[in-house]
Amino acid sequence: MKIATSMLTVATVILWVVILFFSVTAVYSVMNVGVDIGEAQMFPTSTGIKFSLPFSISNEGYYELADLNLTTRVTDPDGAVLDLTETLVDSIPQGETVNASHTIEVDLDDILSMNHLTLMLNDSNFTVEIFTGLSFARAIPVQLSTNVSLPWGAPFADFAVGDLSVSQRNSSYIEAAIPVSFENHAPINISGTLKLEIYDSSDENIASGVTGINVAANQYYGDNILIYARPQDESKLTDIGRVHILFETPLFTVDWWENYG
Amino acid sequence: MVELDSNFIMNTVFPRVMKAALWGAFTFMIVYYLPLSLIPSNIPQNILPFDYRAQLFEFAMISVFFAIAGQLFSKTVIGCGFGIARAIVIVAYFLVVSEGGILNLTVPVSEYTLNLTIDISIILLMIIAVNLLSIAKNLLGAINILTEKSTDVNLK
Repeated sequence: MKIATSMLTVATVILWVVILFFSVTAVYSVMNVGVDIGEAQMFPTSTGIKFSLPFSISNEGYYELADLNLTTRVTDPDGAVLDLTETLVDSIPQGETVNASHTIEVDLDDILSMNHLTLMLNDSNFTVEIFTGLSFARAIPVQLSTNVSLPWGAPFADFAVGDLSVSQRNSSYIEAAIPVSFENHAPINISGTLKLEIYDSSDENIASGVTGINVAANQYYGDNILIYARPQDESKLTDIGRVHILFETPLFTVDWWENYG
Repeated sequence: MVELDSNFIMNTVFPRVMKAALWGAFTFMIVYYLPLSLIPSNIPQNILPFDYRAQLFEFAMISVFFAIAGQLFSKTVIGCGFGIARAIVIVAYFLVVSEGGILNLTVPVSEYTLNLTIDISIILLMIIAVNLLSIAKNLLGAINILTEKSTDVNLK
């Protein structure tokens, strides 16, 4: 009986020593993990915008950091998911530094296909949820999460259509001018063709005009766009009406309706 | 009626009280001052979401109480009972403090709030295992003491 009690005492002491040793070295290791986050970079791509966040993790502790998972989820104010990106690092061995980059690609076609026209016309705020998980010493899972609000600048912010005015008449067509203005709050240049189609009260297309625009980021655009109608439709060109706006770029096409006058 | 015998006090009670006091002081040093000296003093207090000094002090008080009680009643069934109680209290304390092994901390960093979740269930399992061993040891100790008493032959 005494031998068994002694053995249990020895086992208890050994286990306490193991727990204390692991706890102390784990705390020391955590304090010697260095995280360096680089400057976020933004690149225009063929389909939209790419955000890249380089980071490096140096593990000067005693234990391996494994299964590092960095996930970002971008949602619009309605909660719809615009982007879900994961960056995985299998292992950061003890004494080593790992450089990685978390890249978020925003595909404008995807945004438009999700019927996010309001994002093209109105400034908003995206919510970026950031989740980070890793396994410390392959024994202690650690998760870190936070929410960041990211302002979104609409490319056609404060879009306005002014009064239509007939500027020229001849036997083959009627020329009218309609003022259009907006501010490009997006971080990219807006370059493409802007087409205006005027519709009467019976939803008949009576006039249209096209112009090329190239608006730099954070710049104001304001111009009179010329539209042309048949002479017999002059009476239908009233002071107030509806205009169908189509904007086409090599990247995407977006269209919406506005009232003029 | 138990009469107070000065020899009994000097030879048995006094050494035990002294030993218990020394063990209590030693335990307090090991459980409270040693971890405090290992924790860097330059950690900003607002980073840590809980008052680690207060929790360490609570644990130190529990440890000191059971260390003193264990020494005062050492080699008795009551001492073994205190040993078992200490193991149960330590397991319960760690279960409560670690919220069942999943620590959820909310750390404010400038204008953001970081939610930190640490799964220390493996450490908790090790603590439970070591305390189960401690319970087994104290049970065997109690049985041993009772067995020795029941098999003593009084020749007087």
